Amino acid sequence: MVKAKYNSDDTKSMCKAYAEKKGALAFGIANINTLERVAPEGARPTDMLPKVKSIISIGVGGGTRGSWAADAKTLAYIGDTETMAYRIAYGLAFYIEAKFGFRAIFVPPDMNPEKGARVPMQSLKLHAEVAGIGARSMAGDILLHPEYGMMYYASVFTEMEMPPDQPMANNPCPHSSCVQLYRKSGQTPCMRYCPVECLSGSIGEDDQVEEMHYDAHACAEMSQQYEAIPSVLLDTLDAKDPIERGMALHGPENQVIWYKLSIGAGELLSLCYECMRVCPITQTAPMANPVARGAGIRQKIVEAEAAARTEHAIEKTENMKK
Amino acid sequence: MAYGVTQQMIETFGEIVFKLSLNKQVRRGDPVRNLDFTSIEAAREESGLTDEQIAERVGLLPEQVSVVRVFTERKHHKIDQHRRIYHLGGGKRWKKAAYSSPLERLTFRKDAMMIRESVVFKPELAAKYIERGYWINETLNSHLANYANTTPDAPAIIYSGGEISYKNLKENVDELTNGLMDIGLMKGDVVAVQLPNTLEFILSYFAITAFGGVMQTIHMPYRDADIKFLLSHSRARAVICLSKFKNFNTAEVMLDIKEKSDTLENIITVGKTSLPGTIDFKNIKISGVPKIVNPPVGSDPFLLLYTSGTTSNPKGVPLTYQNMIGNARLSVPEFHMTPADRNISAAPFSHLYGLYNFHVALCAGAANILLPVFTPPDLAKMIEETKATTVFLGPPHAASMINAGLLDDHDFSSVRFSMFSGSACPPSVLEIYRNKISAKGSETRIGQLWGMTETAGATYCRDDSPKDLALKSAGPAAPGNEVRVVNENDEVLPANTEGELQVRGSSVFPGYLNNPEANENAFTEDGWFKTGDIAIIDKVGNLSITGRTKDVISRGGVKFNPADIEDLITGHPNVEQAAIVPMPDPILGEKACCFITLIDDNKVTLEDLCDLLDKKKIAKNKWPERLIVINEMPLTPTRKIIKGKLIEKL
Repeated sequence: MVKAKYNSDDTKSMCKAYAEKKGALAFGIANINTLERVAPEGARPTDMLPKVKSIISIGVGGGTRGSWAADAKTLAYIGDTETMAYRIAYGLAFYIEAKFGFRAIFVPPDMNPEKGARVPMQSLKLHAEVAGIGARSMAGDILLHPEYGMMYYASVFTEMEMPPDQPMANNPCPHSSCVQLYRKSGQTPCMRYCPVECLSGSIGEDDQVEEMHYDAHACAEMSQQYEAIPSVLLDTLDAKDPIERGMALHGPENQVIWYKLSIGAGELLSLCYECMRVCPITQTAPMANPVARGAGIRQKIVEAEAAARTEHAIEKTENMKK
Repeated sequence: MAYGVTQQMIETFGEIVFKLSLNKQVRRGDPVRNLDFTSIEAAREESGLTDEQIAERVGLLPEQVSVVRVFTERKHHKIDQHRRIYHLGGGKRWKKAAYSSPLERLTFRKDAMMIRESVVFKPELAAKYIERGYWINETLNSHLANYANTTPDAPAIIYSGGEISYKNLKENVDELTNGLMDIGLMKGDVVAVQLPNTLEFILSYFAITAFGGVMQTIHMPYRDADIKFLLSHSRARAVICLSKFKNFNTAEVMLDIKEKSDTLENIITVGKTSLPGTIDFKNIKISGVPKIVNPPVGSDPFLLLYTSGTTSNPKGVPLTYQNMIGNARLSVPEFHMTPADRNISAAPFSHLYGLYNFHVALCAGAANILLPVFTPPDLAKMIEETKATTVFLGPPHAASMINAGLLDDHDFSSVRFSMFSGSACPPSVLEIYRNKISAKGSETRIGQLWGMTETAGATYCRDDSPKDLALKSAGPAAPGNEVRVVNENDEVLPANTEGELQVRGSSVFPGYLNNPEANENAFTEDGWFKTGDIAIIDKVGNLSITGRTKDVISRGGVKFNPADIEDLITGHPNVEQAAIVPMPDPILGEKACCFITLIDDNKVTLEDLCDLLDKKKIAKNKWPERLIVINEMPLTPTRKIIKGKLIEKL
């Protein structure tokens, strides 16, 4: 791995340009010293990559405006965009190694099961906050950005040194309208409309969050469906009534879990294709075969060229007549 | 246990471990963004600790913390939370008051599930009834709500004190529904009603079923022992009854039963006074539209009727809306019933026949006229005064009016259609009834219906059936039903051959309550209900009942149906009613014993009857061999002779 001679500001700009080209909305470098101080032991950047110099945080957009207006069931399926962030971070790690010759890793966005409930290997949220591309909100510390709203984040650790950014100077949360509602009702909209009432807290006289209380366990029952899987199975085993047992597995509240599980496994579990196997359209579709498709394109080029030649010949003939 | 963790350790440390972990998080201010390292350190515990940190704090091994945490999280974890968001979005926001978990909302008592479990239909038949539209999602109250909305001012109930519109009826029902729910009644609970055909009965019926309750009826003549058996068998949670009926202190008896019951909780009484410990019907109403979170649906059982027990103890017959209301809805076009009709029932609403015709009129949006208790003059007067157009009665009702000359004295010209059912229908009674009404120049039609508590209206003559069909037949099967006549081996017999009647169809009950033995004997493998009646079906499917299988007398192995003999004996000028039952005989096995009641103080001997039968050329083996004269026949509330009680007298 040859380390290329680049100015650290340039490398940062090039990494940012790469990430933005691939779809990132926000890009920032978190101060490693801050992270090493704030992150708990075992979850510090150096615990994962001992010679890490820079922590890159990128953010990708959440839902479209349309998806926020859609019903909750639809949003449950289309609300997640984090895999896009992971893909960019994964590519960025390779880009850094290939372009600049420094080691880099795509930071796993996963839990550290030995450490406790919902304890991450690395806090991507903390990286993004320190990198200045999000600030903690009243809504269970979900990071918000004044321009991009809610984003999904991914991180890259690299041994290449780049100048760090500062946390955001101002926190967009609470919004002025939320402060108004809080003054009237004692609740912000996120507190008021949480289906499991997992949020509470207070806003100070300076219109900033004074205290934020977050019942992460209650929230996880709604939002972290992977945690429900063992519970569903245990409920099934414990059920004394056959209807309760059946509903624990097949009930509408749990079917989403199995669906997402099969999606997560890579593909939808479609195991039968007999109707398509006997379908004459699928069997004879001329452009289904990529080789044929290539031949078809070549043929179209040949035909286009022939047409062009013909038109040119006609034009030439007509000009000659004139 | 693993890692040296006991259940007691989980209970002791569970909550603090749960709290210290990332399950509960607190942030004060914005310390990370502001790089306020002092605050971050101070708040580290509040923002959630790892298992290792918790172990250090609590005094356990990290692995033990993990076990304690997992089991405590499991205790807290609810897997049905995701339902909460299913209907949010698109402008809808979460509101705590607007949500209740289906598991909490759709609760039933064990007793309610006992009735539900007794509702067992053959799946292939249920599928057929639904596909053909015999069973739909309708309830008693869905019809009331429909007419309260579409024809609010149309009369729903006409009673001696006035009339009540569909809209007003709905409002009154709403108030009583609120009251019943307020005393803790819930879906599936049985509420017994022992009331005459009064407005209170109607309000109770709609209100009980509005919140999903099941109404059990108790016939008015029933007394302590009968009532105790019925309430105990149904596990009723409340009773609505008169404070006192004639010399019967109903409320006192109900309170006594409640005292010894582990299910009966409330006695609601109708009357001028109410005893301590009872609830006054007048005071139970609460205004407003009821909030029913577990509403009734078409497949729910809503009625618990009991067989009249002519041969054995009463059996509980649960009926679903799809059975009963479907049967009534399908009858509406057959009787050409319209909202303009005014229907009167001489039969009590405690009996299937009374409820059936009430339902038919309700389904049509017609008015139901209430006759609290049948007396011949009251029925005749009510028909005349209210200008009833359809009359559902039994032959004894008609016979008593004819005998009292009431058809001559009253104006029956409004009556366009009369249906007879409830006991054997002597053609002469039906013909005289029709002729007397028609004689005054108004066209009127008669029909005959055959049904049982278990079958609802199984067969009946239609409004446009041949004019005289009712004189000899109860017509063809009702829409959704099939009838057949079989021999002892359940083999179908040809037309016009006498045999046991079997019925299958959308109005047939699902099975007796808590009576597996009776259920086993009641149905064939393919779902035909064995009625116990003897019948003939003609070539075009018209049914004629000829007797009961249990009435059949086997004299020396030769069986005969005594119904014809009873008819002939009833024709004797001095005989009022006659019933023949089998009496044990050491040689022949059984012989016929005839019970009669007499007209006035006349006398009749066994020889007189035998002479009569001889003249009628009846085979001698069918002649009664013993005669018992009694003052009064034991009758069911629908005026059927209880032969079981006669046999007890032998």
